[in-house]
Amino acid sequence: MVEAGRSPNIEIITNARLEALEGKPGQFLAKVHQAPRFINEDLCTACGMCTMYCPRPVVDTYNERLDITRAPHIDYAQAIPSSYYIDAKACLRVNYDTCNLCAQTCTAGAIDFSQKPKKLELNVGAVVLAPGFGKVDDEVLEKFGYGKYPDVLTSFEFERLTCASGPTEGHIVRPSDNKPPKKIAFLQCIGSRDETCGNGYCSSVCCMYAIKEASVAKEHEPDLEISIFFMDVRTMGKGFDEARKRAQEKYGINVIRARVPRVDQVDGKLALTWTTPDGEHHSGIFDMVVLSVGLESPEDAEIISKVADIELNHYDFCKTSVDSPLATTRDGVLVAGAFQGPKDIPESVTQASGAAAIASELLSDARNTETITVTFPEENVELEREEPRIGVFVCHCGVNIAGVVDVKAVRDYAGTLPGVVLYEDTLYSCSQDALKSIAEKIKENRLNRVVISACSPRTHEPLFQETLRSIGLNPALVEMANIRDQCAWVHAQEPEAATEKAKDLVRMAVAKARLLEPLDQPTVDVTPSALVLGGGAAGMASALSIADQGFKVVLVEKSKELGGNLKRLTWTLDGQDARKVLKDMVKKIKAHKNIEVLTEAKLESISGYVGNFTSTISRKGKTDMVNHGVMIIATGGREYKPKGYAYGDSPRVLTQLELEEKLSKGKSFLKNARNVVMIQCVGSRGEDMSHCSRLCCTQAVKNALKLKEVKPDLNIFVFYRDMRTYGFYEDLYREARKKGIHFIRYTPEKRPEVIKQARGIKVRAFDPILGDDLEIPASLVVLSTGIAPGENEELSKVVKAPLTSDGFFLEAHAKLRPVEVAVDGVYLCGLAHGPKSLEESIAQAKAAAAKAAIPLAKGKVAVAPIVSRVNQDACIGCGICESLCPFNAIRLEKAGKRKKAQTITASCKGCGICASHCPTLAISMGGFTDEAIMAQIHAFSPEGCKEE
Amino acid sequence: MSKIKGFCCNYTMSVDVDALKEGGLVPEGLEIDRLACTGRLEVPEILDAFTNGADAVFVVGCQMDKCHNLSGSYRASKRVRYAKKILKELDMDPELLEMFFADRGHSEPIVEAARLMASKTQGNSQDRDQ
Repeated sequence: MVEAGRSPNIEIITNARLEALEGKPGQFLAKVHQAPRFINEDLCTACGMCTMYCPRPVVDTYNERLDITRAPHIDYAQAIPSSYYIDAKACLRVNYDTCNLCAQTCTAGAIDFSQKPKKLELNVGAVVLAPGFGKVDDEVLEKFGYGKYPDVLTSFEFERLTCASGPTEGHIVRPSDNKPPKKIAFLQCIGSRDETCGNGYCSSVCCMYAIKEASVAKEHEPDLEISIFFMDVRTMGKGFDEARKRAQEKYGINVIRARVPRVDQVDGKLALTWTTPDGEHHSGIFDMVVLSVGLESPEDAEIISKVADIELNHYDFCKTSVDSPLATTRDGVLVAGAFQGPKDIPESVTQASGAAAIASELLSDARNTETITVTFPEENVELEREEPRIGVFVCHCGVNIAGVVDVKAVRDYAGTLPGVVLYEDTLYSCSQDALKSIAEKIKENRLNRVVISACSPRTHEPLFQETLRSIGLNPALVEMANIRDQCAWVHAQEPEAATEKAKDLVRMAVAKARLLEPLDQPTVDVTPSALVLGGGAAGMASALSIADQGFKVVLVEKSKELGGNLKRLTWTLDGQDARKVLKDMVKKIKAHKNIEVLTEAKLESISGYVGNFTSTISRKGKTDMVNHGVMIIATGGREYKPKGYAYGDSPRVLTQLELEEKLSKGKSFLKNARNVVMIQCVGSRGEDMSHCSRLCCTQAVKNALKLKEVKPDLNIFVFYRDMRTYGFYEDLYREARKKGIHFIRYTPEKRPEVIKQARGIKVRAFDPILGDDLEIPASLVVLSTGIAPGENEELSKVVKAPLTSDGFFLEAHAKLRPVEVAVDGVYLCGLAHGPKSLEESIAQAKAAAAKAAIPLAKGKVAVAPIVSRVNQDACIGCGICESLCPFNAIRLEKAGKRKKAQTITASCKGCGICASHCPTLAISMGGFTDEAIMAQIHAFSPEGCKEE
Repeated sequence: MSKIKGFCCNYTMSVDVDALKEGGLVPEGLEIDRLACTGRLEVPEILDAFTNGADAVFVVGCQMDKCHNLSGSYRASKRVRYAKKILKELDMDPELLEMFFADRGHSEPIVEAARLMASKTQGNSQDRDQ
């Protein structure tokens, strides 16, 4: 979010809504209504004075109405833009023209009541709709005592309670008496999988978030007793099943399979009754009940659909199709996130990148015509080489620092330190005018080192670095002393000691600043082409996207023709002809002038770094070298081949894909069939592979429905563990139940057995509702075999990209970087990343294409200045650093007679692992040299500083 | 520990009495008979409860105008009134038998009834002294 806020090419318009969208792709005119914030974003320093003085309390909606704030406020500390705003409905000045207190207290002069609503007309080429999800109606929640009994909370409210910056500072207390609860019940599927409230779909995320919230609560209060009431445990995301198992074992969370119909309050406690699948009635008394509410379509979905002229589906979410999951029904208008259907963070982030890819395809001709590049003056190298002339700026941060620390004393103390030529205090060093004046003073006094004694470098260092760059100084020459977060805030009760500590911090920062060295900011040219490994749905979709964005693509496929697993699919989950989807894609690929397809080819080795890879590709006995800037791994997965279940012994036992193939050839094989048995989780979820294969439940339901359609008098039995027909696929599941398909749950301890007989086969399994074994003579047994990882191990060694314990490629960050791997310039999509549906694969492929196109479009890769540097004279070539580097960014190379370590600066992330392990201290980190850090440590004692 | 006997209809009582005891919400000596309808309750059954050692007895039916079986709780209340008369004739405190009404599925009135009856058995000796 901070990144979006800082990008010069992203304009953030808050408090705004779309009023009309005219024109066509490439030439849209968006009319936007913007309501006033009444606080000028550029001037506001987020000091909080206005909130403090405002007499008008308002309910804090960000904290789910559990707390109170004032009319001028910021939702949370990290909000972007980092500026307060005034709640126009509550403000006395806005409504009654009285008060005006905040405007008088604002020392930054940011409060501006003259602001009027604005009508903006924006010329844009593409539109991405990402309005998120809406809230389930209170009416639905009332059934469960919400609003009537104070200790019935929604999961969103509970989330705020567990949050350290929430209304209770992370303490879980009952709203009724502020006492910690001992027993908590989570009720799942509130407002989802519930036709009575019109939400027939599954919200996909609640099972996992309930387990997360329960784990967080248990971590905070280990004595809590937590029960979660499920229908099906739908933790089908990557690694989710494992996390759930861990939570159940580690925290002893009680998982009960029952749907609680209502909540009753008895003497301030909450009484629940439920029935378990064995027919037993149970009751329990709880101190708190958390309703795991689902994700609704946004409240203004209909307005959006009218304004943007797009269609909605029958649940008021955005209508999309399997083969283009990010496109709305209007060209050039794209969708991402929960508006497309309920989904979790990794998928939303993936979709967002995917939507960006499509926008980039549309606008590739216009690339770089509207972008802003920030330019900086030449560096004043001579000044940087002079003796350190240090300037110290001590920030008041309003009252944040000055309220505790004696800022003036700290400032004067700084003047006594060696090397300091200028020492000043500023009210808000981060405000626009203060930055300007700091820049002027640096110039005036010919400063070449700057110490900002204020807040955290994590949030503010880039700001001051930019200030230095703007006047021709190297950004590495600024050092920050955090006297706010680490001093004034934590020692608010001891102002004198805090002032002393602030002096210590400033002294240490000055000591380090003296030894700061300018760092190079090298850029590397990028070969403007991509290598895509794998010619399945994901590989083809990403290759097409990159090619449409105007770059060359080499598509490497190991088999004779394109298609991958898609070749074996007969129809998609929404009933489209899968082979037509495939044919269309292959046709586009073959016709595209930017794509070169290499079939029967394999990646042998790869060298280089982001922007400049060289790969060796073997093809029909020959090897070729390919130069490319980025690479996408889309090598796919494979259908798991079952062991047991008489698979291979009897022609009547098939996998789901084999059934589809048969079905596509005609229905004659069903002529004498009476009973069809499907068995879920064959190989998945702990049988042979530990992961959930995510799509087999939906696939089974889809095929069962198809069988029913072909032969309605067929008896179909589906043995399952949890039906994971998430999202809108729940509709298919419900339809299957309505059509009389039998769904019977089994536990891993009692798996169904397939028994071969003299004539035919039968399935023996335990039916938990009858409480007895069933024997079904089966005309056909269909195994839902799930997805096994492809030959990832070998590739993982070649690319140096790590795998998960399940054998799929590991992404760099599950939520923030879901399509990137740890190695820079290498991206990931499709089944190589983990089991997923065709729709999800395509969205992810687009996302990988978007990410891969970033270095290609920029043409240059900037290298982070904080990289490791090897002193080759001191290096003994032991190779410890090479073996430890997680980014493949340091390696031994021949230098003269011996091998010496060398950093590949373009790949280095500056983590410092190599430097900390080097036995001869030959490696140092830019900006954090051993000398500078030692000087900083020595300066902790005032004497140590003088000795220097 | 005094023994309390309660007769509840199927629609008023939803929470298991053991769960209520576990939560410490009702007296330990409480025993509840869940009937299909309190209208089914006969006077001898009420008196039998006393014979079998109950210190106090209560009946909980639906709200009079919302009875699932239309007049079930009305019948029950009539019989409770009659049983009270008999208790008086037997020289027992008629206050030890009460009729209560509860909304469907609400357990709170039942818990309150049980507590009230328990306090009556404990307070009885004191009341007489005063």
